[in-house]
Amino acid sequence: MEFKVRAYRFNPETDEKPYYKEYTVEDYPGMTVLNALIKIKSELDGTLSFRRSCRSAICGSCAMKINGITKLACKTQVSLEIDKFGIINVEPLANMPVIRDLIVDQEVFFDKIKAIKPYLLGQREDAAHNIFKTLKEGEKISQPVYDKSEFKNLTGNEDTPNCILCECCYSECGGVVGNKDYLGPAALAKLYRYVEDPRDIDKNGSRLVNGSMPNGFWDCVHCQSCEQFCPKGISPVKSIVKLHEKSIKNSITFSSGSKHVVSIARSIGETGRLDEIKVAFESGGVTGLLNDLPVAFGAGLKGKIPPLRLKLIKDMEDIRLAYKELDLEDKL
Amino acid sequence: MLKHDVVIVGAGLAGLRAAVELRKKGIDVVIVSKVYPTRSHSGAAQGGVNAAFDENDSWESHFFDTVKGSDYLGDQDAIEILTSEAPGNILELQSMGVVFNRNDKGGIAQRPFGGQSFPRSCYYADAVGHMMLHGLFDNVLKYKTKILYEYFVTSLLTDNGKVSGVVAYDIKNGKFEGIAAKAVLFATGGYGQVYSSNTNALINTGDGMAISINAGVPLMDMEFVQFHPTTLKSTGILVTEGARGEGAYLLNSLGVRFMSKYAPKAMELAPRDVVARAEQTEINEGRGVDGAILLDIRHLGKERIMERLPQIMQLSIDFEGVNPIHEPIPIRPGAHYSMGGIKTDYNGRTAIEGYYSAGESACVSVHGANRLGGNSLLDTVVFGRRAGIDIAEYLKSAAEDRKFDESAIKRDEEKFEQLKKSAGKERHGLLKSELQEEMRANVGVFREENAMKKALDKIGELKERAKNIGIDDKSKTFNTDIVEAFEFSNILLIAEVITRGAILRKESRGAHYRTDFPERDDSNWLKHTLATLDGKGNIKFDFSEVAITKFKPQPRTY
Ligand SMILES: Cc1cc2nc3c(=O)[nH]c(=O)nc-3n(C[C@H](O)[C@H](O)[C@H](O)COP(=O)(O)OP(=O)(O)OC[C@H]3O[C@@H](n4cnc5c(N)ncnc54)[C@H](O)[C@@H]3O)c2cc1C
Ligand code: SF4
Ligand code: SF4
Ligand code: FES
Repeated sequence: MEFKVRAYRFNPETDEKPYYKEYTVEDYPGMTVLNALIKIKSELDGTLSFRRSCRSAICGSCAMKINGITKLACKTQVSLEIDKFGIINVEPLANMPVIRDLIVDQEVFFDKIKAIKPYLLGQREDAAHNIFKTLKEGEKISQPVYDKSEFKNLTGNEDTPNCILCECCYSECGGVVGNKDYLGPAALAKLYRYVEDPRDIDKNGSRLVNGSMPNGFWDCVHCQSCEQFCPKGISPVKSIVKLHEKSIKNSITFSSGSKHVVSIARSIGETGRLDEIKVAFESGGVTGLLNDLPVAFGAGLKGKIPPLRLKLIKDMEDIRLAYKELDLEDKL
Repeated sequence: MLKHDVVIVGAGLAGLRAAVELRKKGIDVVIVSKVYPTRSHSGAAQGGVNAAFDENDSWESHFFDTVKGSDYLGDQDAIEILTSEAPGNILELQSMGVVFNRNDKGGIAQRPFGGQSFPRSCYYADAVGHMMLHGLFDNVLKYKTKILYEYFVTSLLTDNGKVSGVVAYDIKNGKFEGIAAKAVLFATGGYGQVYSSNTNALINTGDGMAISINAGVPLMDMEFVQFHPTTLKSTGILVTEGARGEGAYLLNSLGVRFMSKYAPKAMELAPRDVVARAEQTEINEGRGVDGAILLDIRHLGKERIMERLPQIMQLSIDFEGVNPIHEPIPIRPGAHYSMGGIKTDYNGRTAIEGYYSAGESACVSVHGANRLGGNSLLDTVVFGRRAGIDIAEYLKSAAEDRKFDESAIKRDEEKFEQLKKSAGKERHGLLKSELQEEMRANVGVFREENAMKKALDKIGELKERAKNIGIDDKSKTFNTDIVEAFEFSNILLIAEVITRGAILRKESRGAHYRTDFPERDDSNWLKHTLATLDGKGNIKFDFSEVAITKFKPQPRTY
């Protein structure tokens, strides 16, 4: 069966703006979108440019938009796409500048990975006898003992160490759309991976402190795209929520994001209602409040004015109980 | 022109491990790689990495298994180093941040692997290479290492008998760059793309080996190509030996576990050469299933499959349309690993002073005629580390007594420009497919003189046609067309070295099986082959001795 591939084309040397080019390709059973692109390149048009390496969904090279959805080309079956869309549309990832055709500039993405210090900051003492040694005849080596449970968040199939840095999540991240300096899902998932590592001795909690800075994990807008688009089944946003929890548990609450969360929790714990003015003030201070004014003004024009004094809701007792269950009383 | 003390070409496990060793000492290093480091093919390794930890196991047993697995062609002094340094290396990696699955005692969990007399393969589910690669890359970042990624190395330069640097093509900007150095390490990986139906990444084109032989460095034992017994029927994507380690069965069309005929004791866990031949024999004799064999893991149960082999499950579903929880997986042998490579000693040194190699591109030789599963990842870290240490030592005394020949940059640039201008009609992508198919058919699992001579003829024909290659892409920005054309010329050269070596070696040993010489012949062939180019670019062969220290060659049965 023949099918059509419609590819995004752009070469900065010759093209003023991007355009699309159509190719007709012969299908075979099991053909992937990457196979189709390779076939085009070797048989029809050597100028079509894209990255690829492993062809088995492990190196993270071949992420692109296929019929509008960010995917790995090597893991996407042509037949399924054709059944659904009748064509294969391929476009480069978003949130990164295009170098050429389907190839984007990943420098910023990788810089953000580097920024979270993706390595052990120190070593737990019982790991210290891990000194290299060449064994002599009859000699054995003893190894440090870690309980299985200590690695429980690092050894599951969909745990963060399985991230292949493919940028699918980053391309779809709503947080990056709003703030190009936001670290983004992959870097924060990596941060969480090291926070969870039992060997990492981050004595002064610098990982959580740094991650709480502007552009860090409080800048996630919870759009859930990262979880939805990750080809390895990882959920960076779950890691981000865990980072939030850990920061608040460790009283690292200087950022407006964390203040926001704490303030909402407090407001509900006190009155059962959201005190929007107070929350805005407690999260962002006077400047935050001023920043929110235009929005508030607009809402006001539409008749949505928050009450200045909140009444306790009827079921306040239930909320107190829930807070007690969740161990949140001290955060009030 | 750039200048550094050390250039490391290749950012897979071997290159990164060497880089960490050098950067820990504060040495000026640049890593050059044609892909971003984490895209290197080391990341695809699934099954495990060997080291004797258990109190009932010993490194000496690992030593013997490896020698036997190599069909006695491995150098025993080097294998002794590989196995006695294995546990130390793994613990060191662990302390650098690499995660391994745990056993009930809190130590590193280990699974059985083919040809190993004890379960000694350390793993991270079925993605151990991924874990190790990202772990080491993280350390390269920790030690703030300069990396030139998406730079394609085209030449190795020497002067005064010593290495002087490399020439590289900056793929993104289309510019050639010279990098002068006192030491150069090639950790450029294997050449799986010589064959159709292979488990390798598309970038595994044997560049480092081709560049080396062109620069006068001998390649050793190139006729030994490992065919992995379990690769997905339609794509060649690997199903780890760990699957058999966990208890998978191999079945023929009659539903029989045919390995009982070929390796009654080891069964499915016989070494790869033995299993690959058994499968091919079953297929050739009409007991295959549509040209494939079945790998059955259903009896392991869903839970164990999900825990230990999650990637295998996903790959089978995505690439073969088979859910192994419910159906057996159709598999067949596929080209997998390059036992041969750039001849080095056990410190990574080659024939040229200051020039080193480690990992799959090197031939130390610890794998001899057949590599055991789980020994290659080990090879990359043990010898990557040793090369790093040796280079650091070398730099202490290395003098600035060599010049970087800048005209070489122009020369390579000219080559690219010429190619771009060519009006030829041949397409390198199609020539590559023809070559790969020829190599699979005639220099594959079973080999025979006449078939291999046919392959040589084909290679000759392709060399002629290659002169007429035309390049569609004239651009300077990310021109992958021209890079692939160069990769093809490397594959073609390597294919010829393999084929000539395989015709020369008139015996069967390990992965090299000649139907016309089915026996191992220790009196004539217990020796390494060394390939070099003569003045006219013809391949010629020499031999060198195998280091035999502890274990005298014995018949190899499993
Ligand atoms: C699917 C698969 C599964 C495997 N599973 C296992 C296993 O379970 N256990 C085991 O022990 N072994 C396994 N192996 C083998 C093992 O993974 C490899 O032998 C090993 O990882 C090779 O590492 P390396 O560092 O030598 O090379 P690679 O990881 O291949 O790296 C090569 C590097 O060289 C660079 N390079 C190459 N040419 C150039 C050039 N011209 N210019 C610039 N840079 C260049 C590349 O960019 C890359 O960074 C497996 C192999 C495959 C294919
Ligand atoms: S949930 Fe957060 S991190 Fe994930 S894509 Fe949305 S904004 Fe980005
Ligand atoms: S989290 Fe998933 S989508 Fe994001 S880079 Fe990692 S593997 Fe890709
Ligand atoms: S080519 Fe490696 S992930 Fe697709």
